[in-house]
Amino acid sequence: MLSLGALALASPWLLLGLAALPALWWLLRVTPPAPRRIRFPALRLLLGLEPQEETPSKTPLWLLLLRMALAALIILALAHPLLNPTAQLGGKGPLVLAVDNGWSAARHWEERRSAMDDLIAQADRESRTVVMLPTAPLPGGAAPQPLSMLRPADAHAAAAELSPMPWPADRKAALDRLAALDLGSAEFVWLSDGIDDGAATDFAQGLQKRGPVRVMADDADALPRLLATGEIDDKDLTAQVRRADGTLPAELYVRATGDDGRLLARQQITFEAGAVRTTARLTLPSELRNRAMSIGIEGEASAGAVLLLDERWRRRPVGIATPRATGTAQPLLSGAYYLEKALAPFSEVREGDIATLLKGEIAVLALPDLSPTGPGEKDALVQWIENGGTVLRFAGPRLAEQGNDDLLPVSLRRGGRTLGGALSWETPATLAPFDATSPFAGLEIPKDVTISRQVLAEPTLDLASKTWARLTDGTPLVTAEKRGKGWLVLVHTTGDPEWSSLGLSGLFVDMLRRIVAVSQGVTGNSDKPLPPVETLDGYGRLDRPSAATATIPASGFADTTASAKFPPGFYGTEDSRQALNLAPAVKTFAALPALPPGVTRMSYARGPEVDFRPSLLGIALGLALIDLVIAYALRGLLSGLTRWKRGSSVGAVLLLAAGIPAHAQDDDFAVRATKGFHLAYVRTGIPEVDAEAQAGLQGLSNILKRRTSVEAGEPLPVNIEHDEMVFFPLLYWPVVDGETPPSPQAIERINRFIATGGTILFDTQDHGESNAYNAAATQQRLRKIAAGLEISSLLPVPPEHILTKSFYLLHDFPGRWVGGTLWVEPSDEQVNDGVTNILVGSNDYAGAWAVDNNGRPLHAMVPGGEPQREYAYRFGVNLVMYALTGNYKSDQVHVPAILERLGQ
Amino acid sequence: MADAALLQHRAEQAAAALPPLLVAANRVAATVAQGVHGRRRVGQGETFWQFRQYQQGDSVQRVDWRESGKSQRLYIRETEWEAAQSVWLWRDASASMDYASTRNLPTKRERADLLTLALASLVLRGGERVAMMGTGVMPSHGRAVLPRLALQIERETSTDLPAIEPLPRNGQIVMIGDLLAKLEDIERVVARYAAMGLNGHLLQVLDPAEETLPFEGRVRFEGLQQENPLLISRVEAVRAQYTDRLARHRAGLTAIARAAGWRFATHRTDRPPHTALLSLYTALSADVRK
Repeated sequence: MLSLGALALASPWLLLGLAALPALWWLLRVTPPAPRRIRFPALRLLLGLEPQEETPSKTPLWLLLLRMALAALIILALAHPLLNPTAQLGGKGPLVLAVDNGWSAARHWEERRSAMDDLIAQADRESRTVVMLPTAPLPGGAAPQPLSMLRPADAHAAAAELSPMPWPADRKAALDRLAALDLGSAEFVWLSDGIDDGAATDFAQGLQKRGPVRVMADDADALPRLLATGEIDDKDLTAQVRRADGTLPAELYVRATGDDGRLLARQQITFEAGAVRTTARLTLPSELRNRAMSIGIEGEASAGAVLLLDERWRRRPVGIATPRATGTAQPLLSGAYYLEKALAPFSEVREGDIATLLKGEIAVLALPDLSPTGPGEKDALVQWIENGGTVLRFAGPRLAEQGNDDLLPVSLRRGGRTLGGALSWETPATLAPFDATSPFAGLEIPKDVTISRQVLAEPTLDLASKTWARLTDGTPLVTAEKRGKGWLVLVHTTGDPEWSSLGLSGLFVDMLRRIVAVSQGVTGNSDKPLPPVETLDGYGRLDRPSAATATIPASGFADTTASAKFPPGFYGTEDSRQALNLAPAVKTFAALPALPPGVTRMSYARGPEVDFRPSLLGIALGLALIDLVIAYALRGLLSGLTRWKRGSSVGAVLLLAAGIPAHAQDDDFAVRATKGFHLAYVRTGIPEVDAEAQAGLQGLSNILKRRTSVEAGEPLPVNIEHDEMVFFPLLYWPVVDGETPPSPQAIERINRFIATGGTILFDTQDHGESNAYNAAATQQRLRKIAAGLEISSLLPVPPEHILTKSFYLLHDFPGRWVGGTLWVEPSDEQVNDGVTNILVGSNDYAGAWAVDNNGRPLHAMVPGGEPQREYAYRFGVNLVMYALTGNYKSDQVHVPAILERLGQ
Repeated sequence: MADAALLQHRAEQAAAALPPLLVAANRVAATVAQGVHGRRRVGQGETFWQFRQYQQGDSVQRVDWRESGKSQRLYIRETEWEAAQSVWLWRDASASMDYASTRNLPTKRERADLLTLALASLVLRGGERVAMMGTGVMPSHGRAVLPRLALQIERETSTDLPAIEPLPRNGQIVMIGDLLAKLEDIERVVARYAAMGLNGHLLQVLDPAEETLPFEGRVRFEGLQQENPLLISRVEAVRAQYTDRLARHRAGLTAIARAAGWRFATHRTDRPPHTALLSLYTALSADVRK
């Protein structure tokens, strides 16, 4: 097999046939096509004629090329080209499929599955046995069955049973298992997940010792990604996104999912080229943040792409003990108020008395200038601190008076110290920079934070180590002591502005945040064994734990990493569950390194195998058929077909012409039509009639220009199907044989035209030839065209009609013929000022008006000669005046009566 | 009576057999007849032409007494000149005439038949005698001749050129065909008939394809008269030569006709038959009028 990238040729040596193409070229060139046979009577005249040119007797070039292409296609098809050819097995003996099915194989598992099936199918065709070697440990860490040779059918079943596991693969163990099997000569295919867990090279070498190895690995952009724990105490929900291959930039989305499966946040993450890890930061309101159950990489289904969240990610609840009953009359000045305001941005604040607060699960208990005095309160507090609680105390007048109790990190001097009071020379003190060892390290100290009173610690040896913050003069401001698992922290001044302005500053919030961060989650103190609640499967879905999942022993959770025995998931109880994530278990996370020489590396990322042979042969067959048709055509056996073809191509050209965007034409037409006054005629589609109408209206336009103030431009043809008619006051419509009746849409437009005052002169042009038969036919024609038009009954022009008066005084309306009746709609004074819109005549008016380019009349007048033409023109002028001025002249009709009445 | 019945019967039979051709021929003839008027001149005939005043030397027998009785003058009744002349028609019915380059066109033979019969119809209307050459039938006139001619035209097959037969002088010959035979042969025939004192008309009916040779590429031409086929490797290359040859052939025909005092015209089957018929008939009636 010859491989050219994704394309391969199964029988490349057949391409040698292409070398024969020039020979074929020559053969085809010298063999002319069979001549057409034509019967021809004038043969005698042709005798002895010799064509001057010689070349045309050869096959035409295009036909030659067609045939060459045909031959080349067949040769190509015989060479059997394949796109994305499936791996062809080469060796002999059993086929060992080493399949990575750790968590990192879950992405694109289907491709691995189909690769497995392909390989097993090939083994089946070659009657070879198959050994399936999954590299991931079995659930619960159970000892795997010894490897065995499988028949391909069984191997298919075994492959179908394989699924990605939510824990890392153990290639070393797999290699050990393989060592126990006596294979003889075998061929190895390692369907790897493309991830180097540190043992990849060893594994490849181990396989190579036993036989030829081919490795299938994902491309760099198809490698799995891993989500690791980010900064838990960050105010945003963060996760670290890692990838194995950092060469290319990449983008992905990270989403936070709530406990009810709702999407809480979605964030785009960009990997710079070269970066293998980046931080996903999901900003959430605290209510939503506390409901987040997991962070996942969108579109990637694997256990590594899911980060489970538990209490540690939640906002730490902080309890503020408020004085019982006594309370304070001024809540805005109480220490509790400032504490609550400072804690609220990053934690959940609860208030109440100490006993109540301790019952709930809180991380930090703040005591603003308050000593636990209630019965058993102190003991409960001490116990709680031992278990991991953090107590944050603030100094105040009461503490200063009361002096030491047991719940203080340092022993205090009674009374305290006042700085910068009314009777003091000293100024209020400011804070010294924080020590590097202090939890507050790195916080910026605002200059305006001043401390005017504080309680002082008795100097002891360990005072410095207990001090987290001090004033510029070195006296401790915040001291802390670790007791058991918990902390006891004392702020030597008040949280309210009574003793210092610390409570008003942003520093206070940051310091509290740090203190809360130091505190341990209240749930981290379980001594009970943690049974699995829900575990992830290989695709990163939470599911009921399998029976093989072990319970994490008491107090061993912190040291537990995800493994076959403890798959990632939630452990503990439904109420208090701890998340065990995969990421800590992944020690090495890199792309597959360069493999030892002799190991073939292939990619999964291939399309399905496409065999080009059938399609190539199909095209060749099609070309052969075309060639056959051409051969027939060259012999003249398809004359009928060619005629049809010619007709259809003409039709196609017409169609194309008709398809020229009508929009631009419309605009052009509108511009032309509105630039001036134009007479217009309806285009009948019959060239002679249209030309005559054009010439006629041109003649009339000339006359109008000469005799009246109407400056008519060049007459325009109107296509009633498309063109806008509203620009024209008068339409001349020759009604002739062969005219297509207007479409319903056109009728609609014409009706609108009439309704808006347009005038139409229908001219049947046939009075000269009229006889009984013709008249009926004309009537029929007119009826067909005018069907649907809103025309009331017509009557001959009455003697005193405006048409007889509008410019010239006329009695009849001759055209080229004389005697045809001109019909009009009866005028109704109510409608359109009594101006009728429809005139129907038969005297061929356009014929009478028609002039050639030199202005000479085109047609003889029957029977009247030039005087008749004059009258025809006069009618035309009257008509245009009538169309333009309407009933303006109708007054004239009554002039005689008026004059008579005036007695003149 | 029996003869008349027989004649009528035969006419009907002929008409029944050949209605399309006859009808077509009559229709073509009718359109032409409108444009051409008869020989409006005084002469020997039966139809009344005009009255004129008696002049010295007129025969008394020619005086129309009824007309003369209406006034003081004597009137001579003149009749329209009716000099019946014989027209011999011939048209090529050889195999080469059975050709039409496309399906839409009539074959040359169809067109020649139509022209012949239409001309016969016209000539008969004019009162002339008509006969087909080569049939041995003498020219006759009258309406009944036309169906008989049609029958003859339908049945007759002839060679490229009319056979030489003795014909009376002063007749007219009309030869309709493709006239693609050798010029010498045509000249011989024409010269012989011209020597006999006959006036004639040659009408060459050609298919447009024969005039333009519209074929292309490699073509094997096959004759219609058992000629050897001819292979031309590139027809478009010889087109100019072909049209040149045709033009020379026509020039030769024109020369032959002129030498004999005859007329030569051409006609293409894609043109309407009226034009050819009109020109033919005008020429013919002009000759007859001489």
